[in-house]
Amino acid sequence: MLWKILHEIEAAQGPLDLNELSRRLDVDRSVLDGMIQFWVRKGRLVDDASVAGQATTVCASHTCGRNCPSSPACPFTMKLPRTISLIPLDAD
Amino acid sequence: MTAPRLQARATLYFPYDAAIEAEIERVSAAIDGAPQLAAKYAARWLAVQLLEGDAALLAKVSDFPDAGQVIAVLAESRARLQPIYGDDIDVALVDRRYAFVHRVVQDAVVQRDAHRVSPSDKIDRVVTHPVLGIPIFLALMWLVFKMTIDASAPLLDWIELVMAGPVTNLLGALLNSVRLGGGWVESLLVDGVVAGVGGVLVFIPVMFALYLVLAVLEDCGYMARAAMVMDRPMRKIGLQGKSFLPMVVGFGCSVPAIYATRTLENRRDRLLTGLLTPFMSCSARLPVYVLFAAIFFPQYASLAIFAMYLLGIAVAIGIGFLLNHTLLKTSEPSHFIMELPPYRLPMLRNVWRQMWERTASFIRNAWTIILTVSIVLWFLLAIPVRGEHATFGAVAIEDSVFGAVAGAAAPVFAPLGFGSWQASGALISGFVAKEVVVATLAQVYRVELPAAATPPTTLLEDAALVVTSFGQAMLDTLKSIPRMVGIDLAGADDAAEPTALMRAVQTDFAAASGGHGALAGLAFMVFVLLYTPCMAAVAAAKHEFGVKWMWVSVLGQFAVAWLAAFIVFQGGRWLLG
Repeated sequence: MLWKILHEIEAAQGPLDLNELSRRLDVDRSVLDGMIQFWVRKGRLVDDASVAGQATTVCASHTCGRNCPSSPACPFTMKLPRTISLIPLDAD
Repeated sequence: MTAPRLQARATLYFPYDAAIEAEIERVSAAIDGAPQLAAKYAARWLAVQLLEGDAALLAKVSDFPDAGQVIAVLAESRARLQPIYGDDIDVALVDRRYAFVHRVVQDAVVQRDAHRVSPSDKIDRVVTHPVLGIPIFLALMWLVFKMTIDASAPLLDWIELVMAGPVTNLLGALLNSVRLGGGWVESLLVDGVVAGVGGVLVFIPVMFALYLVLAVLEDCGYMARAAMVMDRPMRKIGLQGKSFLPMVVGFGCSVPAIYATRTLENRRDRLLTGLLTPFMSCSARLPVYVLFAAIFFPQYASLAIFAMYLLGIAVAIGIGFLLNHTLLKTSEPSHFIMELPPYRLPMLRNVWRQMWERTASFIRNAWTIILTVSIVLWFLLAIPVRGEHATFGAVAIEDSVFGAVAGAAAPVFAPLGFGSWQASGALISGFVAKEVVVATLAQVYRVELPAAATPPTTLLEDAALVVTSFGQAMLDTLKSIPRMVGIDLAGADDAAEPTALMRAVQTDFAAASGGHGALAGLAFMVFVLLYTPCMAAVAAAKHEFGVKWMWVSVLGQFAVAWLAAFIVFQGGRWLLG
């Protein structure tokens, strides 16, 4: 079952909706979340939200004032959908 | 232990693969042979955890004095399993447990609506459809700009009227009362601050309307789908599909969009997306499009603006394709899962907050960056560099420092149809912030304000004008809503008269382009869309990708913009004969 997740992601010709993956594998969403977390811990999948969160620390622009894009207060930041990427086997 | 609990325990036992089961037995036996360890942990559970490679637990076990034999047996077991499972012994164990859980759930849980398709799923079947998805995305984009332009036009005219009449009159009266009227101070405030900052502030209703529609799309969950829909065409030309997510942010502002590239895993993807993101038309460029579309394409203003946004996406995809096959080659696109939020009715509070905060940011920019640039620009326009009798504040604009610098750069833009020093000066100052382009145009043309030509008015008359014209503008805005779907409640052509600035730009562009003003105007819009991003975006690019790639972005975008504007102007001239 675990391998099927990776196979489905690899085989998809584009981003795969989490609900769609749940239907394809006939697995409950909550169970699927647990399986995905296993692969995240194993290093085969990466939760992009955590990557972006770690990186956002320094502000490069001194012209924006309190609109600094590194700040959560930046009005132009948009809540992007959560994405979970497959790490290629030959990745560093 | 009671009988039912024992029974439950027996039911929960399930076997792993035969090879693993044999090793569990061996390790369990070793644990049973270590009394202290066996007293603390259940043997089978511990054997499974150790075979799975639980490092923390292994460290704890190692502290037991009788764990030596267990660890030795464990190492032998793992060595025997290695040829069968490689490094994935844990996967085999966990997989079997999930399979067991799945089977239990299927046997024990009755889901009456297991195959029920939710309303969100039904909508997604159409909205994210491989064929229909892109036309729907384009249609929604068109609706965004149609609503933005049509609904905001009356209020835009109202602010323009207020700035040109009552505000200027009030300022003049105040200066006269302190005996500063008629001098360079009045010129600085009227020709510098009011013309510059006011020239940008008139676009507040446009920004308000744009941010309102974008906030609605964002809050209802569509923007996430837009990224999914655009993934397919991007992937087909070898780009990472996820790259479109930061690009969507770029429709608001390039700076957070550049930072949003951090969501991409590898540097190559981040760099490529960061280079492409500024091609997405940020909201600061919108005032330029609105002004030029109203001047040169008044009947098709929404279409012209919509075309700019589409062109930005198309150029980003084209440049991405080029870079993907030259400087930034990649082996294969990334694969990923996306968690799409369910559709929901937009929450008024969220929409209002986003709309207000983004518009407030635009206004803050007007009072900080644009005000500063307007004042600096006024001084540069007031300092003479040539002209026999020119003095500070009494110089022909083309003989000022700014006029001379802009005039020196103007030949670069001559093949694009806008080789006047006014246009080149606006583009130079636009490097600070894109809103400044319109502010500079308003200043360099030193527009004769309509109120100056009309009889003097009293303060009371001005106040009455502000109130009555606002009421009329609101009424016109309400009338514009049914007009978007083809119902004209006004019944008559109530198109606004071109302003002095519009007439000045039209005349100048026609002169600079040899009578092809509309083509030159279109080329100018294309140039503003694509050329070097603002200072803040350049700083963000330097921070994220380093100095070398910052220069690639700055110079590369300038070259792309020049080439695209050249094709538009010269190609258009050739086509029109």
